[in-house]
Amino acid sequence: MVMILGVDPVLVLGGTVAVALFGMLAGLVFMGIERKFAARMQARIGPPIRQPFRDVAKLLSKDSIVPENAIPCLFNMAPVLALASSIVILLYIPLGGFLPVLAGYGDLILVMYLLTVPALALVAGGFASGSPYATVGSQREMVTMMSYELPLAIAVIAIAWRLAAAGIADPFSLATIAGTASGITIWSVVGPLGIIGCVLLLIVLTWVTPAELSRVPCDTPEAETELCGGLLVEYSGRNLALFYLAQGVKTVAMAALAVALFLPWNISWFVALSPNAALAADFAFFLLKILAVIFFSVSVIRVGMARFRITHVVSIYWGYLGGLGLLGLVFMVLDAYIGGGGVL
Amino acid sequence: MSFLPAIPEVLRQFFKRPATNLFPAKYLPSSVTKYLKSVQEGNAAINPPVETPPNFRGKILYDRDTCIGCKLCIRVCPANAIEFLPDTKKVRIFVTQCIFCSQCNDACPVDALHMSDEFLLADEDRYSENMIVE
Amino acid sequence: MSENKKIGSTYSIPIGPVHPALKEPILFTFKMNGELVEEVDFAPGECHRGIEWMGMRRNPVQIVHLTDRICGICGVSHSLAFARAVEQIAEIEVPERAHYVRTIIAEYERLQSHLLWAGVAAHELGFDTLFFLAWRVREESMDVIEYLTGNRVNYGIVQVGGVRRDFTEDQFPRIEASLKYYEDVAGKLLNLFLEDRTIQMRCKNTGVMSEKEALELCTVGPTARASGLAMDVRYDSPYAAYGDLDFTPVLPHQYLGLTNGDVYDRIVVRLLEVVQSVDLIRQCLENMPSGEVLWEKKYPKILAACKKATGEAVGRIEAPRGECLHYVRMDGNTNPQCWKVKASTYSNQMSWLNMLKGEQIADIPIVVASIDPCMSCTDRVAVVHGERTDILTKADLHRLSVEKTRRLAQWS
Repeated sequence: MVMILGVDPVLVLGGTVAVALFGMLAGLVFMGIERKFAARMQARIGPPIRQPFRDVAKLLSKDSIVPENAIPCLFNMAPVLALASSIVILLYIPLGGFLPVLAGYGDLILVMYLLTVPALALVAGGFASGSPYATVGSQREMVTMMSYELPLAIAVIAIAWRLAAAGIADPFSLATIAGTASGITIWSVVGPLGIIGCVLLLIVLTWVTPAELSRVPCDTPEAETELCGGLLVEYSGRNLALFYLAQGVKTVAMAALAVALFLPWNISWFVALSPNAALAADFAFFLLKILAVIFFSVSVIRVGMARFRITHVVSIYWGYLGGLGLLGLVFMVLDAYIGGGGVL
Repeated sequence: MSFLPAIPEVLRQFFKRPATNLFPAKYLPSSVTKYLKSVQEGNAAINPPVETPPNFRGKILYDRDTCIGCKLCIRVCPANAIEFLPDTKKVRIFVTQCIFCSQCNDACPVDALHMSDEFLLADEDRYSENMIVE
Repeated sequence: MSENKKIGSTYSIPIGPVHPALKEPILFTFKMNGELVEEVDFAPGECHRGIEWMGMRRNPVQIVHLTDRICGICGVSHSLAFARAVEQIAEIEVPERAHYVRTIIAEYERLQSHLLWAGVAAHELGFDTLFFLAWRVREESMDVIEYLTGNRVNYGIVQVGGVRRDFTEDQFPRIEASLKYYEDVAGKLLNLFLEDRTIQMRCKNTGVMSEKEALELCTVGPTARASGLAMDVRYDSPYAAYGDLDFTPVLPHQYLGLTNGDVYDRIVVRLLEVVQSVDLIRQCLENMPSGEVLWEKKYPKILAACKKATGEAVGRIEAPRGECLHYVRMDGNTNPQCWKVKASTYSNQMSWLNMLKGEQIADIPIVVASIDPCMSCTDRVAVVHGERTDILTKADLHRLSVEKTRRLAQWS
């Protein structure tokens, strides 16, 4: 077997292609199902689940128009960057029973950085569009990004810190957090106080997801009725299709991150199965968990409230959610030192 | 959730039936013309539209034999949709012009004009057979 | 303060003539400073269709159905105002029962118009669930209107001298069922729209107009009432059956205890008027007199009476959006000599300038929508010289109206 820099190129390449395909397919399917959920909650029928596939197919068949005022290279590069970086995130997140393709080459901190890249690509594309709507949208996207980073970081770090406090090696590795190999998760480590902390952090992450994905109430950068689509207003054809795919992949990545952090259980931990059956069962269960996360943190939130103003986004994410996250962190700390949560 | 009253509401609605009337089909057929053709051939069924009430004002019906050519309908038609045919002393009604107020029905002294309940009147040609009543 | 700002710190954003936030074409130009609106300008006139021109080439019996088409939502308001003007000129006595039928239809129209507005407002806020819900609730009034008049949108029920269709005894249970439905759903609507924190965050203290400003800008209808002005044509100068009914204008302090004059208050006023309309319809049904509904059944006689009439009159009514006014002048010809429509948005639109100043971009859609604008009601003039469109100043308009008044005086 040929190894380059300690990596098996066939495995990594094959894995990357597989994850990319999975990410795009699952992204579109989940977006279709999500639209069905939202429609159902609004007493509508909604489009068929295959609708996102049709949308992408139609967009791909259309011309991509570059506006006169745009900076063409940046304008055309942004969608590719957004899609590519969204797929890269997936490479670091465990998918059901499968370890991350690039396990051991990056950890949670890297994932947090990577999560900002698709958003930055959107911002670059928006500024490069040369339209006032897109410019305002880009400014708002940047502000939104800065707002949700704090609660997201708190949630992620609190979990990893608690695992470290429990004496678990390599606590920032997502494979460790998800307990893919060991079966040890955050829930089996913490005591009662820590469970309160975990629930608070779960709430924080649930609310960060719509901001990360620019959905109502945090869709201020796109805000159809205000900015006619904001960042994406000048995009069309293939470029828009790429952004659309990136949005789908990002949805899966965010949900998979939430699953890895807070809902890491696998079926094979509880039921004895043959290795292949276990992989399949775990993967199916993983998809179900993703669906559940999407239902609560995307669908319910987006149909249940009005869009925030950009100033609200800042005050709510820095103030309320940041505070809630810190409270969760305090509970985790208390749990580790006083509550007598099990140190394994 | 007293500060977000919509959330319990949407969760309740999630388990109820949608309010949409599935007219003419649940989803947009990939080809509308093919779909309509198969409906005509009897291979597919159209979900019926919401029923029209009695006294609905749809496409106009004209009783040519009763008409006495008094031109009163022409005087009251707000859309000037009615044309007098001097040769036969009858009228011709352009449905694309008609605004379905049914004032001509009320005005007609011999009750020669009525409104049907037909409202699916889309057509590619303004002057097709279906769009002219005489 | 503004002269201290460095040049170039502002940029301009066009909203319109076509924009997702606008349901009808109008062009706004905003001078922005970051997310804040510094200056507002707007140019209506994108929706002019020349209905008055068409009307002056038709007789009143034809026009009364043309007026339905001035606006897609408040059709009966326009036809009622027009019919009232013509009835005054021709001195036609409208039967008592017709007044009640007119009132019931007008109130159903207010119901559906306010619910439509509530849905649009929710959509402007990005709250599509309430948009779907409000329109689903609105459907009931549309169904009843269709059941009573024969059409969902352009009812065509008002006639010069009465109404064209009477309510029969077997129609009352359907009306009663719809009133019951609205009484049941009203509490839910108020809860969903007014208790929601996100809506409160977006609407409270947004687009504020004080009582004084509302008075100075001559605003009308729910927009004026939300600022605390107790004005309502139905109450101030009753027409149709409103004189017999027991009601007072809806003001936000009746629900909230105080009046802010913000977008939230406008939601409150409109939703409370939905409740009020249900009550008014019920009162009408209880007191409905019997008798004819049309002054004269024979159309040639109506036409002849209209042709004979000479004089001028103003028909004023309270449309869902505020006062709607029709001026008609007849000179003994078949067609009116002059017909002028002043819709409520015409009075309300100047309040945009004050309300939008200092607000954020995010608030533009909801503040614009908060006066329930109807451009097709409002746009009555378009000046076009070939490729060039002219903008008329106040002085030009004054000169033109003096000229027109002289012309009218000479004709008669």
